[in-house]
Amino acid sequence: MKITGLRKTLFSRATLRAVIALSVFLVLWEIGSQSKQWLGFTVPWIGQVPAPTAVLKAWVELLSDPGYWQSWYMSTLRVLAGFFAAMLIGIPLGLFMAVNRTFNGLAFPSFEILRPIPPLAWVPASIIFWPTQELSIAFVTFLGAFFTVVINVLGGAKSIDVRFFQSAQSMGSSQWDVFRRVVLPATLPSIVVGSAVGMGITWEVVVAAEMISGGGGGGGSGGGLGFFIWNSYVGGSYEQIVVGMISIGIAGFACSELLRTLGGYFTPWLKKR
Amino acid sequence: MDQLVTLLKRAMPFQMVPDDTLKAIAGLAKYESHAQGDVIYHIGDYADDIYIVSSGSVQHTLGIGTQATHLDKTMRSGDVFGWAAVLENQRSRLAKTVCLERTELIRINGEDLINLFKASPALGDVVMSRFATMINKEFTLPEAVAAQVPHFTQAQATMATMATGLTLTMFRVSQWLKSPKPYLMLIGFSILLGIWYFTVEVWKLPRFEDMPGLTVVVKELFSKDPTYGLSLYTPEYYQHVWVSLRRIGIAFFLATILGVPLGLFLGWSKTFREYVFPVFETLRPIPILAWVPLAILMFSGSETPVIYLTFLASFFATALNTMLGVETIDESYSRAASCLGASKWQTFREVIVPGAMPFIFTGLQISIGVAWFSLVAGEMVSGQFGLGYVINTSYTMVRYPTIVIGMVTLGAVGYTTSAMVRMAGDYMMQWRVRELALGGR
Repeated sequence: MKITGLRKTLFSRATLRAVIALSVFLVLWEIGSQSKQWLGFTVPWIGQVPAPTAVLKAWVELLSDPGYWQSWYMSTLRVLAGFFAAMLIGIPLGLFMAVNRTFNGLAFPSFEILRPIPPLAWVPASIIFWPTQELSIAFVTFLGAFFTVVINVLGGAKSIDVRFFQSAQSMGSSQWDVFRRVVLPATLPSIVVGSAVGMGITWEVVVAAEMISGGGGGGGSGGGLGFFIWNSYVGGSYEQIVVGMISIGIAGFACSELLRTLGGYFTPWLKKR
Repeated sequence: MDQLVTLLKRAMPFQMVPDDTLKAIAGLAKYESHAQGDVIYHIGDYADDIYIVSSGSVQHTLGIGTQATHLDKTMRSGDVFGWAAVLENQRSRLAKTVCLERTELIRINGEDLINLFKASPALGDVVMSRFATMINKEFTLPEAVAAQVPHFTQAQATMATMATGLTLTMFRVSQWLKSPKPYLMLIGFSILLGIWYFTVEVWKLPRFEDMPGLTVVVKELFSKDPTYGLSLYTPEYYQHVWVSLRRIGIAFFLATILGVPLGLFLGWSKTFREYVFPVFETLRPIPILAWVPLAILMFSGSETPVIYLTFLASFFATALNTMLGVETIDESYSRAASCLGASKWQTFREVIVPGAMPFIFTGLQISIGVAWFSLVAGEMVSGQFGLGYVINTSYTMVRYPTIVIGMVTLGAVGYTTSAMVRMAGDYMMQWRVRELALGGR
């Protein structure tokens, strides 16, 4: 049963069309990149981009390079550090702001004036402040996810129907019961969405932070994927830039998907629809 | 007199009336007091005056024939009853009222009140519509009864709504000032600034003392002769802001005119989506900032790469949200349109585009946010001028206070642009704003 389902999705018209579209895209890209040799003139813009075959070759070579995997490791570590810090601080803060009106009045306006400042604008200030490069990159990644997580949690908690509280209280629930049985399950979906979006932003930010701050720890291998890209650009190995871009794309996508699956596991009641 | 005015101000129908008119109304009012058990009027009595409770309480029992959901209501200080006196076609009492304790009332003749408002019809309509709301909502009577309040203006209806709009805003502002919110906000801001000031400049905590302090930044920002060359008084400041705004403007415009149609078609045509969406989804997870070196390679000069990066970020957000918007449209709308003989193009124009509009504007708001995000990154890494550039060069040239000036400016400008997008959206989708307002959100 399951196998036929799999076969159905594998050989469906949609898959076929996706494969066609992607192949056309790759072929056009190849032609565009090789236009100087093949057609005798350079196609604007795409002409400067390394061809997919060259990228693939560079990638295969890099697969056995420990420096490349070290970059993966460094970036993932930073993302996880920033992300978990944002979850640890952001979720309780958002919930507390939603529950306590005085605290909300006190903190929310300040939060709102800090929020429009793009996380990357914090990079120099954070480099000045934190003693090590590593911490300053983690801090900027933290900021990237933090605001999204808080806003999502707050929004989720605010949209709970008042009647749920009233009925829980009239049936004799304690404060903790209301929190545990009403607030938490009602905000879980928005926590999941917030963290998946936050994860995406974290990957965006980590790349930029690594580029701007020069990778941290100095030298090629300690740098992370953002630094890997920048280094490839400076060093003139343009194929590696594209390899780096794709790698980050995969990493970010995988992390967000993982979170969504995990979130789906925690919020099984949403799946029924 | 002042006491009367304050009492009137608490009465629901008069809450938005300016003080001088309230004084005129107070001039019509008569005080009276009743002992416990006094009946003020019976059902069917001739309705001449309206009453406002000053102190004490009154039991207000509507007649069965009035079709009210709740017949009984206890009137307390500030509550208004006897409103049959201002209804047209209805000059007899609908309820029986009995004082529950020693009660002080003021009474105002209904005819006199209506005559008073004839001088200022716009205000009169506001008061009367509040009467109608009160009758309908607080006394739970059918709207047909509430609709009997007099109308003063027909020709000047727009004037009245304008006045309502203005008084409504004024009313909201005054309510806001009465709530604890603004004061908590100020306390919150002072805590934030206080932490900054004390940690950096007074206690000089380790690590914090390297940061630019609050007073230094403020002094620099408002100085006519800034130490580090950038303040509100230098033309360079506005030049940087302008350059950033221009880049955002171009990128956002391009992203909107390309992204919205793409999103609409992606959502509308299944074939188109099956071909294009996979490519779109392959490119989208790549962080915009990873494009930086490639953008520099692809486009010559320093201006186009930055605009390209900003465009790319906006473009994905806009197209994706538009597509989601089209997908959420209930399919029965399209079917209904087809049944009524709409062509494909007509369905697209009349159903798909307006249906996706709320999502498009959500997308545009996200898009302007990510546009600033990637603009800063682009400007920091490559490019000349612009706020991101200011922040980065200030760091490398050790002009620390200027970093904060750049950040604050970015926040302010970014906030303003997204507020503008939101206002444009509200303006274009007034039907939705109304819908949300009716839903009480």
